[in-house]
Amino acid sequence: MTMTENDRLLLNAYIDGELDPAHALEFERRLADNPAFADERTRIEALRGVMRERLPRETASPALRRRVAALARPQPFATTWRAGWASMAAMAASVAIAFAAGSIATLVAIGPGSREPLPEVLVASHVRALMASQTVDVASSDRHTVKPWFNGKLPQSPRVVDLTAQGFPLVGGRIDVIGLTPVPTLVYRARQHVISLTALPASRRGETTLPPIDGYNIVEWTDGQLTYWAVSDLVASELENFARAFRAGEAEP
Amino acid sequence: MDRGDSRTRFANVVMPHLDDAYSLARWVTGNRADAEDVVQEACLRAFRGIGGFSGGNGRAWVLTIVRNAAYDWLRKNRSPAVIQVHDLEAVERVQVPDDATSAGNNPEAALIARADEAKLEAAIASLPAMFRDTLVLRDVQGLDYREIAAITCVPIGTVMSRLARARGRVIVMLGADT
Repeated sequence: MTMTENDRLLLNAYIDGELDPAHALEFERRLADNPAFADERTRIEALRGVMRERLPRETASPALRRRVAALARPQPFATTWRAGWASMAAMAASVAIAFAAGSIATLVAIGPGSREPLPEVLVASHVRALMASQTVDVASSDRHTVKPWFNGKLPQSPRVVDLTAQGFPLVGGRIDVIGLTPVPTLVYRARQHVISLTALPASRRGETTLPPIDGYNIVEWTDGQLTYWAVSDLVASELENFARAFRAGEAEP
Repeated sequence: MDRGDSRTRFANVVMPHLDDAYSLARWVTGNRADAEDVVQEACLRAFRGIGGFSGGNGRAWVLTIVRNAAYDWLRKNRSPAVIQVHDLEAVERVQVPDDATSAGNNPEAALIARADEAKLEAAIASLPAMFRDTLVLRDVQGLDYREIAAITCVPIGTVMSRLARARGRVIVMLGADT
């Protein structure tokens, strides 16, 4: 059977996981009946695979990054930003969050006794991690590696749950500094989105979805001695799914 | 919004997506130097317009601005033929052989899987601009259909159609034994 134009659209959408369950089921039946569909599927999947593997990850050059960051410097430089090649020090001062490289710098940026609300601080930590070349200090999808790494550094280590099957593979962990306290942050992925999950000493009960800050959603819940804060640009409902999966997940024995 | 707020929002909303912005600009313009100009221009627009960002998907918002800036750049620097909006029906229909005899032993798929970076880049670069950015947004940047529809300002059906055609063309180019 020859594929129609519409079949091709459906096949592509099926492979991309964009069909709703009912249509996906129906399409799977047709896929099983038509060798031509299966062949085309193999070709499309081969293309997707090769694009993912062979095309280099493009990154903005440090020079471009500096020029763009200079846009956010205090006046009067903003009008002459094209020529504005400020020193790293000047920029670090103006965009401290963006350029704080490492825990010590974050500590300075936030400062002891800072009155900045916790959700803003957590979003800032998340953004800083996104902008670093690595979002984690320890990169591992194996919770048996990540948990001991925290054990060696912090008095209290978080639960580390394997959520690969639920679509949230573990990327690793890092240490964020909130006020003067180093705290553990787990990093998970949901498709292309990064989720930072920070554990703090328990504050209050119940799961809360906070108002988003600059497009980042925040879900917070308490489990035993720890309050967990999940921050991501994932849509709120999916971040809540992540929170539920994490709470239901089996912790490291 | 005062300027301090704008700066913080810019740092939070735009800066994390700079690599994605640059990647999209490079695929649209075809080279690194022009991509940098486009990203700078787009970021200036984003900074001026940051007060209008209503929350939600920061990445899609940034990429929409980058794509607009890239197309403005194309219009200024390339012949109109390069960027003309192709009538989907006018573009030749991609014919992938529906050859059932190759089932289980798919020589084209094997060729595609072996394509090296240069061949892959050349195939993608040869696509009409609208097909190319749809393919790049999906398979390089991993956005879903809804996000791509928002960024490219077309209905989801058009995204599906462009994506299927873009992939079909690249498959034909890579699958041809040369």
